[in-house]
Amino acid sequence: MNEDVKQQIHEKYERELQRGERFWPDSIFKDAIMALALFIVLILLATFVGVHDSPKADPSDTSYIPRPEWYFLFLFKFLALYGQIPVLGKIEWIATALIPGIAIGILTLLPFIDKSPRRYYAKRALPLGIMGILVWGMVWLTLLADYPTVAPDGSSTPGILQAIAGIVIPLLAYIAFTVMAYTLKERAPHGILLTALGAGALMAGFSLLSMILYPLPAKETAEHPTSLVDRITAGQDLYSIHCLECHGEDGAVKVIEGVAGLEGTVISPISSRDVLYTLNDASLGEIIAYGRPDLGMPPFGKAYNPEGLTRAEIDYIIAFMRHTWDDRYEMPKIQPLFPPLAPNEVPSYEVHITPIVKRYCLSCHRPGKDSNDYFMDTYENILNSGDNGDMNVIAGDENSFLLQVIQGKPILNPDGSEAIGVMPPSGTLKPDVIEVFRRWVLMGMPRTAEEAATLTWPTP
Amino acid sequence: MQNFWKNALQWLDERLGLNELYQNLLDRPEPLGNWWNTLGSASLFLFLLQVATGIFLTVYYNPSPDHAYDSIQYIMNEVAFGWLIRGIHHWGASLMVLVVIIHMLRTFVTASYKYPRELTWLVGVGLLLLTLGMGFTGYLLPWHQMAYWATTVGTQIAGSVPFIGEFILRALRGGPDLSALTLQRFFAAHIWILPALMFALIGLHLYLIIKHGESHFPDKED
Repeated sequence: MNEDVKQQIHEKYERELQRGERFWPDSIFKDAIMALALFIVLILLATFVGVHDSPKADPSDTSYIPRPEWYFLFLFKFLALYGQIPVLGKIEWIATALIPGIAIGILTLLPFIDKSPRRYYAKRALPLGIMGILVWGMVWLTLLADYPTVAPDGSSTPGILQAIAGIVIPLLAYIAFTVMAYTLKERAPHGILLTALGAGALMAGFSLLSMILYPLPAKETAEHPTSLVDRITAGQDLYSIHCLECHGEDGAVKVIEGVAGLEGTVISPISSRDVLYTLNDASLGEIIAYGRPDLGMPPFGKAYNPEGLTRAEIDYIIAFMRHTWDDRYEMPKIQPLFPPLAPNEVPSYEVHITPIVKRYCLSCHRPGKDSNDYFMDTYENILNSGDNGDMNVIAGDENSFLLQVIQGKPILNPDGSEAIGVMPPSGTLKPDVIEVFRRWVLMGMPRTAEEAATLTWPTP
Repeated sequence: MQNFWKNALQWLDERLGLNELYQNLLDRPEPLGNWWNTLGSASLFLFLLQVATGIFLTVYYNPSPDHAYDSIQYIMNEVAFGWLIRGIHHWGASLMVLVVIIHMLRTFVTASYKYPRELTWLVGVGLLLLTLGMGFTGYLLPWHQMAYWATTVGTQIAGSVPFIGEFILRALRGGPDLSALTLQRFFAAHIWILPALMFALIGLHLYLIIKHGESHFPDKED
């Protein structure tokens, strides 16, 4: 760049300053309004959307599907698509190091690559075209991030469509841009604009095609407790299922009774000060995870027992133990799962059954889970879905399958083999929960609280 | 009384050079701007907001695998307005990345990176990369499943660089696997190393902007 051009640039800038504004207060005013707007947006997001949480990190749970922050999703998707390219896709570092490295290098050195002093957009078709397609591609890769690259039937068509949209068309457009810039001369901006619009439309088209033909898989929404009260309640449920058999409801058992294989084993009462004061949360967690095989305690951690507890679940159990038995902790006020039944009260679906089912049954009995198609997510499904639709619940009948299996009586096939095991598969429901189910079925499955209020449970 | 304030102001001005500061920093002519010109100061505002909320969070946050998750539960549930501070920090990070990227695109479209502002652009790219680095290191700190496995994959990607990948992977993780050391390193990078670099580069960026003035929107003459 020679001195004349520099001089011109400075003179032009001086002229712009002459007809310009003052930094204070003109610009500062706009800046302040912008900052205030962003601040308000942040407060609204923090208040009404909150922070999406996930359970505590668990190195043993390798089935977890990782997902980066949204601004890295395009890279994530690019790597996934690149990995599907035959032969080249196996050379991982080209996509993970070389291409991003070149991109960052070009971005950094941009002023030294694009040395033309021209700033007006019509004179900069090539760089604007390249950047436009790049940003457009990043947008579509981000939007496509959660869409599968392999169809349910195993074909890789969605991946190919997405790769065309996110990799092939941009590459072709870049080649076309470069050729045009050097052959069309002054007509180049026009050609580049048309090519960019065409390529952009094709990218959107192929992405949408993939999205429509191969939609998002149904999302598994796993709820997990966040507030202390929720964690304690979750811990209590887990304790009832996994621990109660040996340690007893109050954790005070000293000699195990009635448990096959462990009959007569002497154990420390886990609700005692001896245990709670001398073991910190970390040690308690390790004992639950590893077990104490020499003393009879089996391991419950997922790493040692495929059916076992995750790190987060162990923490919930510890939270329950601390807040229930450790006198240094104060128990927060916990709402009961459902309002306790009065002697003549008949429970209803909306008040009593819904929360119980959600806590004890829905983890397996919902669409997408292998449960012989018996789903308990709606009132109708509880009554009619599944292989034994007409036998699930029969108004007024103790032989309803639901009532039998929750009371420890498996349903047998004619040949004596087990058709439906006892429910829940591990542990038993608390007596008051079973009582709710019994009264509800025997009195004809009232749906709303009003319906239930018209009925009376006959006391003997 | 009026005299007293006048004298006090003059006393301060003689020693601090307030008038000079006002003339050089605030009372400057500028080309006509529009709302696209506010994105730089918006990035600065969001950075300072992240610094402020981040400092509050470190009061309760504990960077160890045993306590990180619980300390954040504590911030969210027990600390007064802890949920608000963390919510702003969480969303502020996303918003900052977005604003910084749009700021970069605006600079690109108006070709403001050209003479005499090449170094401003160079420093700006550094700030963009540091912002992404802040996002990457900050993502691990809550030590939940998403953070743990995303960082496992993220560091694996860094480890696939030919020749020095293994070294980068071990340097990031502090060993072959994600561990307490990884969390400690990410924490150190997130609250000391990267912010210190950012403060330095932001200072340089601002100096260069004041030195050369904000660029004007190009017209057919440019």
